[in-house]
Amino acid sequence: MPEEAKIETEGVFEPKIMAFVCNWCTYAGADLAGTSRMEYRPNVRIIKLPCTGRIDPLFIMKAFENGADGVLVSGCHPGDCHYTTGNYHARRRWTAFKDLLAFTGIDLKRVQFSWVSASEAIKWVELINNVTDDMEALGPFMKFKEMNKKGPNQG
Amino acid sequence: MENELREKAKELLESGEVAVVIGYGFNRKKTRITPVFITKPEETDKLVFNELCVNNLSIYLTRKYRDIQKIGRPAIVAKGCDIKNIVVLITEGQTKREDIHILGVTCSGVVYKQELFKGELKPEIMPSKCHNCDVRNPHVADTVIGEKSDFTPPEEPTGMVFDKIKEIDAMSDSARWDFWNEHFNRCIKCYACRQLCSLCYCERCITEKNMPQWIETSAHPRGNLAWNLIRAMHLAGRCTFCGECERGCPVNIPLNLVNQKLVLTVKNAFGFESGIDENVHPPMIVFSEDDNENFIK
Amino acid sequence: MPRIGVFVCQCGNNIEATVDTQKVADETKKLPGVVHTESYKFMCSSPGQDSFKKAIKDNKLDGVVVSACSPHMHEKTFRRAAEAAGLNQFQCEITNVREQCSWVHHDETRKIGTDKTMDLTRMTIQRLKKNRDLTKITIPVTKRALVIGGGIAGIQAALDIADGGQEVVIVEKEPSIGGNMARLSETFPTMDCSQCILTPKMVEAELHDKISLYTYSEVEKVDGYIGNFSVTIKKKAKFVDESTCTGCGECWEKCPFKADSEFELGLSKRKVIYTPFPQAVPNIPVIDKTRCPKILKDKCGLCAKVCGPQSIDFTQEDQLVTEEFGAIVVATGYELMPNKDFGEYGYGKITDVISGMQFERLASASGPTGGAIRRPSDNTEPKNVVFIQCAGSRDEKRGVSYCSKICCMYTAKHTMLYRHKVHDGQAYVFYMDIRSGGKRYEEFVRGAIEHDGAMYLRGRVSRVYEKDGKVIIQGADTLSGSQVEIEADMVVLATALVSRPGADTVAQTLGIGYDKYKFYNEYHPKLKPVETVTAGIFLAGTCVGPMDIPESVSQGSATASKVLALFSSDKMAREPITAEVNKQTCNACWDCVTSCPYVAIEKEEIKDRKGNVVNMLAHVNDGLCQGCGVCVCACRSKAIDLNGYTDEQVYAAIATF
Repeated sequence: MPEEAKIETEGVFEPKIMAFVCNWCTYAGADLAGTSRMEYRPNVRIIKLPCTGRIDPLFIMKAFENGADGVLVSGCHPGDCHYTTGNYHARRRWTAFKDLLAFTGIDLKRVQFSWVSASEAIKWVELINNVTDDMEALGPFMKFKEMNKKGPNQG
Repeated sequence: MENELREKAKELLESGEVAVVIGYGFNRKKTRITPVFITKPEETDKLVFNELCVNNLSIYLTRKYRDIQKIGRPAIVAKGCDIKNIVVLITEGQTKREDIHILGVTCSGVVYKQELFKGELKPEIMPSKCHNCDVRNPHVADTVIGEKSDFTPPEEPTGMVFDKIKEIDAMSDSARWDFWNEHFNRCIKCYACRQLCSLCYCERCITEKNMPQWIETSAHPRGNLAWNLIRAMHLAGRCTFCGECERGCPVNIPLNLVNQKLVLTVKNAFGFESGIDENVHPPMIVFSEDDNENFIK
Repeated sequence: MPRIGVFVCQCGNNIEATVDTQKVADETKKLPGVVHTESYKFMCSSPGQDSFKKAIKDNKLDGVVVSACSPHMHEKTFRRAAEAAGLNQFQCEITNVREQCSWVHHDETRKIGTDKTMDLTRMTIQRLKKNRDLTKITIPVTKRALVIGGGIAGIQAALDIADGGQEVVIVEKEPSIGGNMARLSETFPTMDCSQCILTPKMVEAELHDKISLYTYSEVEKVDGYIGNFSVTIKKKAKFVDESTCTGCGECWEKCPFKADSEFELGLSKRKVIYTPFPQAVPNIPVIDKTRCPKILKDKCGLCAKVCGPQSIDFTQEDQLVTEEFGAIVVATGYELMPNKDFGEYGYGKITDVISGMQFERLASASGPTGGAIRRPSDNTEPKNVVFIQCAGSRDEKRGVSYCSKICCMYTAKHTMLYRHKVHDGQAYVFYMDIRSGGKRYEEFVRGAIEHDGAMYLRGRVSRVYEKDGKVIIQGADTLSGSQVEIEADMVVLATALVSRPGADTVAQTLGIGYDKYKFYNEYHPKLKPVETVTAGIFLAGTCVGPMDIPESVSQGSATASKVLALFSSDKMAREPITAEVNKQTCNACWDCVTSCPYVAIEKEEIKDRKGNVVNMLAHVNDGLCQGCGVCVCACRSKAIDLNGYTDEQVYAAIATF
C-alpha cells in the first residue's frame, strides 16, 4: 500500500474511523453539514453505497482488518429508504452481526449504527464527534492490530 | 425398527419409486457407522439405525454431491434433526419436497462422536441438541419408522453448549476475545466444517472468491476470524444446530457455540426457528417493519 | 498499467482555504497508475472542463478522479465531459473534498484538510482502478398507456395522454366511467353541476380515437416493467353485444325485475338489465347475472325479445385479454366508510340518517327524487337537517386517524343546496374544526354560514336516536359550553373517505406500496407525488389519499405528463447501476429473489440445445432493478454483484484505508 496514511503522528492517537453510508440519506446529510459549514472531527473516511442494504458484514470485517479503530454504518431512517425496504434488510443483518461481534469480544462501541436523514446534518456532526470521542476513549483497536502482527498458524 | 426400515427401503427400491436409499450402515469392520447408498433391493439389509447414527445425511441431497443425485430419486434416512436441514434445503430451492422420499426415523438420541460410545448411550456423550430435541418424532416425513417417542424437551434449553454460551456472555470483552482467539488460532482452514454442513452448499464458497479476496485463505488468525464469523453469518437464521461442523473440526473449535448463539439471536429477535416449515423464508432475507432497533442510534 | 488523471479543484477558495490542492496534486502524482494530476481554480467552469477534456485526450487517460464538490453536485457534469473526451463516463469518479472535507474541517494550517483530501483521493483512485466500462441500459418503450379507473382522475389522465397523441386504454370495473364524481349534485366552491362538467369529458373520452374503454373490466395480472408491461384484463360478461347495441333502452324499460341501485346507494331501484345512470358512458347496459332469471334458471328472456338489434347474448362469458403497455396510471379512487361503522350515529338503524353521498343523490337533479330534498322514511321534506362532520375521520379508535379533507367543504355545500331547495329549512352542522384551505374555499364556507344561515356548532354528537318520527341529536356546543338537543327530520353524516375494498390486492398485483389505510404510496410525498417506486406506474387521485376534484384532475394531468415524457422516445436510457448474476456460481437458492424490493430478479430457465430445461438460475431484469444492492448481501456465494458498486470497488476503497 503506497504511503500509509499517517494519521498517527507525534504520539497523539488519532483514531481511524470508516463510515459506510447510504447515498440518499446519510451521504446527503453529511453534504448538508458541509454546505452549512458545520465543523466536526476529521477522523472519518466515508465509503458511499447506494443503500444500507448493500452494506455487507464483510465490509466491516475488512475495515477492522485494515486498521480501522471504529466502524460506523448509517443510512435512511425506517420508512425513508430510497429503495423502500433496503434499510429493513440491513437492520436484520446488523442485529445478528452485532450479537456475533459482541460474542467474539469486540466492544460494540467499535461498530456503531445510526439512522441519519438527509436533513440531519447536526445529527451527523454529533455522531462523528461522539464516535471519535468513543474511539479515543477506547484507544487503538489493539485486538486486530496485534492479530495482524502474528504470523500464520503453522497447524 | 431396523427391519421395518429395511422392508420399506426394499419396497421403495423394488417399486422403482426411488433409485437410491441414502442411509446408515456399518463399516467393514463393523466398528463404526458410515453413510451407505443402497441401489439394489437385495442390499437393503445393510441399513441400520442406532445411537451411533450421528451423521447428518442431508448433505447428500445438496449440489455438492451431484453424482448421487444422478442416480435418481433418493429416499433418505433422517432423524428429526436431519429433517430440519432437509426443510431448509427445500425452502432454499436446493431440492423439492416431492423429489425425495424422507424415511423419518424416531430417535432417542445419538452420540456426540462415535468414538465416545462404549456400549451405552449415556447422557454425557450425547450432544446438547439431543437433550433439547423437539423432533424425536420426525416432523416432516413420507414414512415414519420406529416407535413414537414421548420425550418432551426442557422448557429452557440445557446442556453444555447453552451453559457455555451463558458463561461467555458473562465474560469481559477481552476474555471473550482471548477465548475465541485461542480457538480460532488453531484453525487450519481445512474447511471440514463447511464440507460437512449441508447448508454450506455454495457453488463457490465466499472464501474461494478471489476477486476480491474478502477472506484470507492462509491460516492466519486474521483470516481465521473472518472465516469463522462470516460463515456463522451465512448460517444465521438457517443453521439447525445439527452440530456436524463441530463434530468434524479436527482442531476442536467449539463452532456449536457460535452457531447456537446466532440461533438464539434469531429466535429472540425475529421469533424464527429454522427447519420447521419449508414454506417460511429464512429470517435474514425478509424483515418486519417492527424489528427491534434499540442498538441503532 | 492504468493511466489515471487526478484533478483537484480549488473551488475558488472553498477548498483551497483548508486544503493545499497543489500538494495533493503533487503527492498523488507519485501513486502507481497516476500519470497526470492538476489543481485548478474551478474545475466545473468551462475553461476547467476544457482543460479536463484536453488532459484526458493528451495523456490518453483511461480513468479520471475529480476531487471536488459532492458527486451529488457535479458528478453528471464531469461524467458528461469525460464522455465528450472519449472516455467511458463510468471511468470518472468524484472525491467529495468540499462538503465532506474542506467545509467541515476548519484547520487554518491546512494540514488536516490536505491529509484527508489525499486519503480520500487515494481511496477513489484505488476504487477507480476496479471500475468497468458501463453503458447506459436502453429499454424499448411500448407507447400505449393503461389507466386503471375511469373516475375523473383517470379520465383526465387518459384525455391528456390521448391528446398528446398516444394510445390509452381505460379499465373501469363498473359498467360506466364517471366514478364517484358522476354521483355528485353540485361541486364546491363554484356550484357547477357535476354532471354538466363531467359528462362532456366522459363523452370526449368515449369518442377520442386514441382512447379505448374497457368498462365492466378488471386488471387481473401485471407482468413486466417500465415500457414493457404485459397486463391481463378480465372483461366481465355484459351479456350484451357492445358492437351492435344502440343503447335505445328498450330492454331495461321492459325488464320486469328490480334490484337496489348501487349508483343511487340504495335510495332507488334499478332493473336487472341496466346502465348505472342515464348519462352512462358507454350507454350500453349490462345484465346483473346474479339476479337475472334467464341466466339463473332459464326463465324470462324478455329483454332479448324486445331488443331490436338482437344484441342480448345470454351465453357470453368473462373474457381474459392480455395486452402490452408502456406505462400504467392507477386511479382507482375511493369510497365512503361503510355504513355499518357508525352505529352510534344511528346509521343503518335509523332510516333518516344518511351519508353525505346519499345526500348528493337527493340533491341531484338526476337523482331518485329529481333533486327535491325528501327524507327516505316518509318522503317528506325535512325542515331541520343535522350534518355531522368527521364521521369516522380524525377518530383513530373507531375510524381513521386522518382528515378526509373534503367533508368540511361538501358539508358547507350541502347546507347551501339544502337552503336553496328548502327555503324555510334549517341546517345544523356539528364540526370539530372547519378546514377550508383552498382557493375561494373559506369564502364558500362563510357564505354557507352568513348567507345561507347554516348553524355551525363546534362539538361532537354524543347520541342519535329516533322519537316520534324525529331524529333526536344530543351533542355538545363547546363554544357556548352548553349541551344541545336538536329535533331533526334528517341527519347527514360526513363519512370518512377510505380506500376501496381490495385496494391492497390491486397494489400487490401492480407491485406498488400502500399504507395501513391501503392508500397507495407515492415515490416521494412532496417531490414525486404521482410516481411510485415501481418505475412506469403512476398514481392519480384519491387512491393516494383524500383529495378534492381539482387536485384529482391536476394529478391526472401530472401523470399524463409523466407518461408522455416516457413515451417521447422509442427507447429509454437508464443508469447501468444494476445487479448482475454470475451464472457459474449461482446456487439457485432464490434468496436474492425473496429479498429484492422490486421483484426484479427472476428464475431463468437454462436450456440445453434440445430446448430441455436443465437448470434454473437467477436473472436480473434490468428494466426493474433499481440498484439497491440488497441482493448482493443476501447472496452468500456473491454470485450477484452490483455494477457501479461492485465488491471489488468497495474492497479497493476499504483496503486503501
